[in-house]
Amino acid sequence: MIAREETLRDLMTRAQGGDKQAYAVLLEQTGRWLTRFFAQKISPDAVDDLVQDTLISLHRKRASYDPSRPFLPWLAAIARYRWVDRLRQTYRHAADELQDQHKEGSHEDVVGAKISIDRLLHQLPDGQALAIRLVKIDGLSIAEACAKCGQSEPLVKVNIHRGLKRLAALIESE
Amino acid sequence: MTNKFDIAALVDDLEPVTALNPRRPLMIAAAILAAMIALIVGIQGIRADVMAGHPDEMFLIRAGILLVLGGATAHAVTSMASPSVGKNNNGWQIALAAAVVFPLSALIVATTGDFGPAMSAMQSGMRCMMYSAIGGLATAVPMVLALRRGAPTSPARAGWLTGIAAGGLGAFAYNLHCPFNNVVYIGLWYTLAVGGCAVIGRLVVPRLIRW
Repeated sequence: MIAREETLRDLMTRAQGGDKQAYAVLLEQTGRWLTRFFAQKISPDAVDDLVQDTLISLHRKRASYDPSRPFLPWLAAIARYRWVDRLRQTYRHAADELQDQHKEGSHEDVVGAKISIDRLLHQLPDGQALAIRLVKIDGLSIAEACAKCGQSEPLVKVNIHRGLKRLAALIESE
Repeated sequence: MTNKFDIAALVDDLEPVTALNPRRPLMIAAAILAAMIALIVGIQGIRADVMAGHPDEMFLIRAGILLVLGGATAHAVTSMASPSVGKNNNGWQIALAAAVVFPLSALIVATTGDFGPAMSAMQSGMRCMMYSAIGGLATAVPMVLALRRGAPTSPARAGWLTGIAAGGLGAFAYNLHCPFNNVVYIGLWYTLAVGGCAVIGRLVVPRLIRW
C-alpha cells in the first residue's frame, strides 16, 4: 500500500529537516508510487532506472519542495521532467513489446489522474502522441512505426521531435 | 524494488536543507534594481519632469508597464524554481501582452511616416539598450541562482522569462533618466532592449540551470 498525500507531505517536510528515518520511508513509498506512475509509459526494463533517476533528482532538488504546497504534484513535475528527458535519449529496446500486466492498485484518484503521464500525452496532437508511443515507449524502429501507423518516415521523425518539445513545455500542466 | 542500495545511499547522504523561499530572490532583485536606479540617476541624471514632480503621462505609462512586466516575469521565474503540476503562474503573459502595445503602436505610427526622434536619437537609444542590459544582468543574478538551486522543468522558458524580467527591470531603471516620450522611440528602443535581454536569457540561462 502506498502512503497518501498528507503522509508523504509530512515525511518530506521532516526529511528537509534532516530526519533520516522519515526520509527512508519517504523514498521507499515514493519509489513504489513512481513505479506505478511510469508503468506502461516506458519499456518495462527501463522503469527501475527511471525511478532511480527520479529519486536521485528528488534527493538533489529536495530544497525546491515548498512544504506549504502538496507533495505529489511536485514529485509528478520532477518525474515528468525525468521521463521526457529519458524519452529524448535515443534508445532501442530489445524486447519491443510492453507486457500487458495489471499493476497493483492501478486505479488512480482524482489527483493522480490530473498529474499522470497519460494526461500529458493526451495534450499532444494524435499523430505526435502515436509516434512517441510507438518509437519511444514501445521501442519500435522508425520503419516499424511507419508501417504500423501509416505515417511517412519523415513525418514520424518530425512528430517525435515536435511532440517531445511540446511535452517538455507541458510538464507542469494538468 | 531493485533500488534498495540507492535508497540507503541517499538516506546516508541526507543533510537538512532550507526550503526555497521564492520571495528572497525577488527581494534581492528589488534591492539590486534600487541600486541600479541610484547608479543611473547618479551618472545620467533624472528626467526633468519627474524632478519637478509633474511627470509626463507617457512616462508614467511606460514606467508602469516596464515595472509590471519585470515584476510579473521575475515572480514567474522564481516560482519556476519550485515545480508543481497544475500550478498556474500566467500573470507574466498578461503583462507581456500589455507591453506589446508599445511596439504595435510604434509600428502603426511609423507607417504614417512620423518617426519622431526614434532614428535621430540613436545614440540615446543605444545607451538605453546598454543600461538596460547592465541593469538586467545585475537583476538576473538572484533569479538564476534561485533557478540553479531549484528544479525548473522548462529551462528554455525559464531562460526567456529571466531575460524578459531582467530586461524589463533594467529598462525601468534607465527609463527614469530617458527624456523621450515619443511612442515610436519607446516602441523601437525599449523593445530592442527587452527583446535583446530575452534572447540573451534564452541562449545563456538554460545552460546554467539544467539538472
